[in-house]
Amino acid sequence: MTDSTDPLYQEIQGPSPRQMLKLRAFGHKGLLFGMGVVGLLVLIAILAPVLAPHDPYAQSLMNRMVPPVFMGGTWEHPLGTDHLGRDYLSRLIYGARVSLLIGAVAALISGVIGTAMGVAAGYFGGKVDAVVTFLINVRLAMPVVLVALAVVAILGGSLTVVVCVLGLLLWDRFAVVMRASTLQVSRRDYVAAAQVIGASTPRILLTEIMPNIFNNLIVVITLEMAHAILLEAALSFLGLGVQPPTPSWGLMVSEGKNMMLFEPWLVLIPGAVLFVLVLAINLMGDGLRDVTAPEGRS
Amino acid sequence: MTDLSFTRSALVALTLASTTAMPALADKASGTLNVAFTKELENVDSYFNSSREGVVMQRAVWDGLIYRDPKTNEYIGNLATSWEWIDDTTLELKLREGVTFHNGEPFNADDVVYTVNYVAKEENGVKTQRNVNWMKSAEKVDDYTVRILLKDKFPAAIEFLSGPVSMYPNEYYAEAGPSGMGLKPVGTGPYKVTDVVPGQHFVLEKNENYHDSPKGQPEIDKIDIRTIPDVNTQMAELFSGSLDLIWQVPADQAEKLAEMGQFTVANESTMRVGYLQMDSAGRSGEDNPFTNAKVREAVNYAINREELVEALLQGSSQVINTPCFPSQFGCVQDVTTYDYNPEKAKELLTEAGYPDGFSTPFYAYRDRQYAEAISSYLNAVGIDTDFKMLQYSALRELNMKGEVPLSFQTWGSYSINDASAMVSQFFKHGSLDSTRDDEVLEWLDVADSSTNPDERIENYTKALKKITKEAYWAPMFSYNTNYVFTGGVSYTPTADEVLRFVDMSWN
Repeated sequence: MTDSTDPLYQEIQGPSPRQMLKLRAFGHKGLLFGMGVVGLLVLIAILAPVLAPHDPYAQSLMNRMVPPVFMGGTWEHPLGTDHLGRDYLSRLIYGARVSLLIGAVAALISGVIGTAMGVAAGYFGGKVDAVVTFLINVRLAMPVVLVALAVVAILGGSLTVVVCVLGLLLWDRFAVVMRASTLQVSRRDYVAAAQVIGASTPRILLTEIMPNIFNNLIVVITLEMAHAILLEAALSFLGLGVQPPTPSWGLMVSEGKNMMLFEPWLVLIPGAVLFVLVLAINLMGDGLRDVTAPEGRS
Repeated sequence: MTDLSFTRSALVALTLASTTAMPALADKASGTLNVAFTKELENVDSYFNSSREGVVMQRAVWDGLIYRDPKTNEYIGNLATSWEWIDDTTLELKLREGVTFHNGEPFNADDVVYTVNYVAKEENGVKTQRNVNWMKSAEKVDDYTVRILLKDKFPAAIEFLSGPVSMYPNEYYAEAGPSGMGLKPVGTGPYKVTDVVPGQHFVLEKNENYHDSPKGQPEIDKIDIRTIPDVNTQMAELFSGSLDLIWQVPADQAEKLAEMGQFTVANESTMRVGYLQMDSAGRSGEDNPFTNAKVREAVNYAINREELVEALLQGSSQVINTPCFPSQFGCVQDVTTYDYNPEKAKELLTEAGYPDGFSTPFYAYRDRQYAEAISSYLNAVGIDTDFKMLQYSALRELNMKGEVPLSFQTWGSYSINDASAMVSQFFKHGSLDSTRDDEVLEWLDVADSSTNPDERIENYTKALKKITKEAYWAPMFSYNTNYVFTGGVSYTPTADEVLRFVDMSWN
């Protein structure tokens, strides 16, 4: 990496690193698809009030379980209505907000915790490393779903509780990866050089180490975001996550479950959207890694 | 229709999948009726479970002294042939002669005395104390005459003797106890239990020597009851023929099954009433909005009961305005009723000092779908609900501590056709009473213990009128249950949510 920033090297090679990055990014189908879908869903989530054809909370018991348009329904409710007669498309659109919000905030919280621990362990080593490694082991010994279930069952399900619980549980991968990357990077000559010229520790961490482990961080963030979204759906499906009437895709699957035999679309639609979102986030993460660190590509 | 063909192919796939797993095809030829229970029965001993499935087993395996005809509500002797009140707290019964238990033990006064003395003793831990704690003891007069002594006047005694109080064989029960009885039940009933595998299935076989009981004679030779918690699995097995009868089928699914045309879908009303309980006594906080009668009235006006019944509960459910089921003795219907009027609800909230509404925790333990619909009605008039779904036992505990401002509750009265089984359960300052109205308590005390029917009616009327006028609760609807069975089975369900195998036959 450092070689390519050398001006001489650049002249010989032709395209600048930025241009190389662009070239690689646009040639990567998985990344394009992933970014496209995630971008679209983020846009939908932000514009939900404009896009949703109906109020996602408006109940109409006389209009229950109208089938979607491709199964004989009408355009009044393109994806039909649920068991309380609420518009399915509108709930799906508002549900994107819940999923993305939980995914992003949980990944952010766990990212901050995990990165801080991992970088500290990798850079300082010794006792700090021992403590962090111990904490990681403790955390890995606990099954996430079980702990999340127990905590949510005690505290009661709500958006805030779910976000916090997931944020506080999913930092292990950040810590492990960041620790390993920091260990690697901190032995590089440029870090030694910075230490020699008397740069302060925070400065070294922020300007020398962080930028060089950022690729890995992004990959872990996307992985954990997808993980958090799936866990939220699982908790909501079990009735312990987001509480009704808030639209959540996991909750929608759970509400449609009893009618699965006769109205399979009630489960299929939110299930498919959830699948697409998680797939897209994973593809985006893989793509970002491939593009930013091509040498790591097998 | 596209969705129909899709459904068909899904059904075919499911059918194929389930037939490979479940080879036991049942029909008239094999003589076995396959039935599914949704919930697991903790103990077949009817005094040591409190579930609906337990009631079903109890009615098949054991007999009570008296029988109430589910259609006419008339009391007929079963193990007793006649009975007579000696005084207000002594009931003398003449027993039927020549009845034997499934294990050959003859039935006589000793069995009645032993059973009553055993279950009435609190230390023995009968699960539903209310079913038995009105009895003090029993005395033998001669081999076929017994006296049951009551603790206090109890007008519903005959109703209880024809319901949950069934007779056990004294020698066998003394030896086996509740756990032995649970694994190898012995009764006098129309069906004897031949196999109990907890969590899996129960096998019942026809009692060939069943006495001349008002229940009628059993016709189906063998009944295999399996525990299958998931309704989708139950339906798949029904399609594949490995189940003949399922019950407690949710309304939406029952409707679809009826449309298929190959099953009999019977719907019957039950005594279970769904209502909103409001903390009018202020146990969850003095400043709790529900202490204000206007707020409680607003809640009553905010709910569209007709729509709930028509669209969600369907079947033979009805709108309920009283804290009891209309068929129950003493459950007069001449009370204050509240129509659906969201505008009026908003006005009342404004008058009560909540022009912008307020926020409250809202608890429920079953039928999430109904609870969601209800909370949506409340949200529409400005009552913001923080919805909390709990297990029954957890909610009951919170409720006993008085920490529940608003909750969606239901009560099935144990199918006892007397208003005391519901209104007196909740308005007599017990730990589940969220109202604590002294006047209501006084009237109910008289109504519950009087043996004069007119006096009882008069006092229940007073109590119900006050409860509805003050809008202490928001009673909403009664439940119904759907029975779905194959064309080969003939059965007419009754309105008390009890599956009676003895009334079933092959077509």
